[in-house]
Amino acid sequence: MLVLDPSKCSGCRRCETQCSFYHTGKVGRSLARIKVVKMEESGIDFPVFCLLCKERHCMDCPQSAITVGLFGEIVVDPDLCIGCGACEELCPIGAIELHGEFPYVCDLCHGAPRCVEACTMGALAFTPGKADTVSLHGGEKGLVCEEKRVQYALLSCQALRAEWVSGRNQ
Amino acid sequence: MLHGYAGHVLRVDLTLREVRREKTDPHEVMKAIGGRGLNSWRLHEELRRDADPLSPENMLLIGVGPLTGTLLSTSAYMTISGKSPLTGILGDSAAGGHFGPELKAAGYDQVIITGRSAKPCYLLIADDCVEIREAQHLWGRDIYETSKALRQELRDNAFQVAAIGPAGENLVKFATVACNNSRVCGRTGMGCLFGSKNLKAVAVRGTGSLSFADPQEFPRLCEELDRRIMAHPEYAKRKDLGSTLLMTALNRLGILPTNHFQKGIADYVDEVSGEKLAEIYKVKNKSCFNCNIHCSRYYVTEDDESEGPEFETLCSYSSRIGNQDLRFALKMAAYLNRMGVDSLSSGETIGWAMECVQRGLLTREDLGGLDFAWGNQETIETIVRMIVRREGIGDAFAEGTRSLARRFGQGTEEYAFHVKGLDMICGDPRGLKAFGLTYAIASRGADHLRAEPFFELTERYEESEKRFGTRDAADRLSDHGKAVLVEFTERQALLTDCLTMCKNVGLSMDILDFDFASKLLKAGTGLDFTPERVDAALRGIIDADRRLNFSFGIDASQDTLPRRFTHEPLAEGASKGQVVPVQEMVREYYRLRGWDKDGRPPDSKPE
Repeated sequence: MLVLDPSKCSGCRRCETQCSFYHTGKVGRSLARIKVVKMEESGIDFPVFCLLCKERHCMDCPQSAITVGLFGEIVVDPDLCIGCGACEELCPIGAIELHGEFPYVCDLCHGAPRCVEACTMGALAFTPGKADTVSLHGGEKGLVCEEKRVQYALLSCQALRAEWVSGRNQ
Repeated sequence: MLHGYAGHVLRVDLTLREVRREKTDPHEVMKAIGGRGLNSWRLHEELRRDADPLSPENMLLIGVGPLTGTLLSTSAYMTISGKSPLTGILGDSAAGGHFGPELKAAGYDQVIITGRSAKPCYLLIADDCVEIREAQHLWGRDIYETSKALRQELRDNAFQVAAIGPAGENLVKFATVACNNSRVCGRTGMGCLFGSKNLKAVAVRGTGSLSFADPQEFPRLCEELDRRIMAHPEYAKRKDLGSTLLMTALNRLGILPTNHFQKGIADYVDEVSGEKLAEIYKVKNKSCFNCNIHCSRYYVTEDDESEGPEFETLCSYSSRIGNQDLRFALKMAAYLNRMGVDSLSSGETIGWAMECVQRGLLTREDLGGLDFAWGNQETIETIVRMIVRREGIGDAFAEGTRSLARRFGQGTEEYAFHVKGLDMICGDPRGLKAFGLTYAIASRGADHLRAEPFFELTERYEESEKRFGTRDAADRLSDHGKAVLVEFTERQALLTDCLTMCKNVGLSMDILDFDFASKLLKAGTGLDFTPERVDAALRGIIDADRRLNFSFGIDASQDTLPRRFTHEPLAEGASKGQVVPVQEMVREYYRLRGWDKDGRPPDSKPE
């Protein structure tokens, strides 16, 4: 699985550009399977990607179009998928999202994630073989993907924020 | 099909509330490339020359480079242009961050805004959906609050917002526009231009994507650029400190503006340096879109937290005005960003007042009872607050230093450090001769970024001989070989701006050359950009800018520097005894540029 150290992320989004380029030959956030949440008022930059969670919420796909691949990654079968968006709704952190009626989700680039290579801050790492370790619970209902990503980023960065602010009065 | 370019130009008339999409014209962009070049070209073609800068007729342009938002790193800028409310001549200012790439993803290479909205409004751009929306609820709010509120009401945190603060609303002549809260278009009062149109913000979201003409060659060239950046000897330092590394660097050269350029050395520089900032307050690196330098920083102090500051802001609010307290400088940097006030121009008004008081030219009573002693924190905070609200004496300060000094007269004009109405940056030209020439001839006034002749600091004598036929171009203290350097780097700087790339990479690190840029443009866009065609476009734009400025009332007499820099030698340090023989340099520059002795480009007809 991919592992993130948010204290090192500068929010450059090189992971996004390389991800979309590798998969589509074009550059655009909508085509990326990793999306950086940026919160200027708190200095947080936080790439959100599929965590290969224990629960595999997205696999409750009504068309059974989703399976788990060799590296533990989510695989969507384009022949079975009808673009209904159930997976997008089910994922608690906004890591799988439709674009042009097809779900975009991290596929770990078949074992050599381009985002890790692209990150010159060393904020991203790849641990092969590791999957199903993170437990994610469904968050608030009715949120769109970007809102879910923001919520997850905020929640994940509480300790980091506390660390920054505690340095204040020293 | 055009690659690289987003493909459309967006026209918005705020008076008629009309929005029109046009296709980006390949013939136009062959002449003006993009970014600042395309903006300048548009002004040249369409602006009514006698338009008052604050009138609905003035144009407000947002231009983004042809390769911005693609794989090309360090090209995240956007440039805002128009007739400057501060100077009355060509105005433009660029900011990095993430706004430019988002505008491209939404499908636009340029936005052209004219007219004036009857009520406060903001422009919403979500791909093809473009709306002029009511913004009464945002009026009066600072830039951080405005960005946050817009993202909340649009229910999408991925919107990129370029906004003004209260200073822009109150038509402070040097008001800024900022995106990503702290990415600031600071120079020439583009925030005032927003305010004059009752335009609070532009919020943009793009779900589109960008393609390249040559899918093999273009990524290869981008990788090559990335490698050049990472292999640069200054890479680590630039990554750690960003432009704030200049505090101690300029102090060593004896050219760090101290007490309003009376000295070039601040003996307390280590207390206000980039190194100190990184050690005590920096919590992490920040970055523009797709950049591999990550030179920006996030800091947290006891008072506030923010991204930044860059060198010009740090110096403007520390040594330039005699403030020795880093924490206070950071507090002011965040306040200026929130309110939307330019640090250089506001800092110059304060430095001017402090020096005039020191010299007995002005009294406390003249200045609204404020005590303009060097580094007086209470006064600095108070006057900036008054500038933002145009309260009391702040109203006169809000007009900019040139106008302020004209109003007071009594010899104070000699201490207003501007060229053509634009305040001088933080770098004493007496120890940087090519920069001195640049301030004198730059088409937006006293500015370094128009040519950024950083080469003169490098002592690369052999390379200098090879490129410019003289070793002097690489010697910052030499009076010779500077016109030839500036004539060249002015084109290099414009090329960087046309690609909306970063000047650190384009010039200071000397990484972008004409051949390489032409290859990038060709592989990226598919248009037949050759080095010759690119160069012809750049020369054409420089001449067009000059014609535009002539029609705004500029002439050769204004291609000069304030008296201090031409007549008063620096008293100490590594640039001791130096002044700038600016007139000789300017004459040489005209000749090399192909302009006549009055600084007129060829074929200049009266406009």
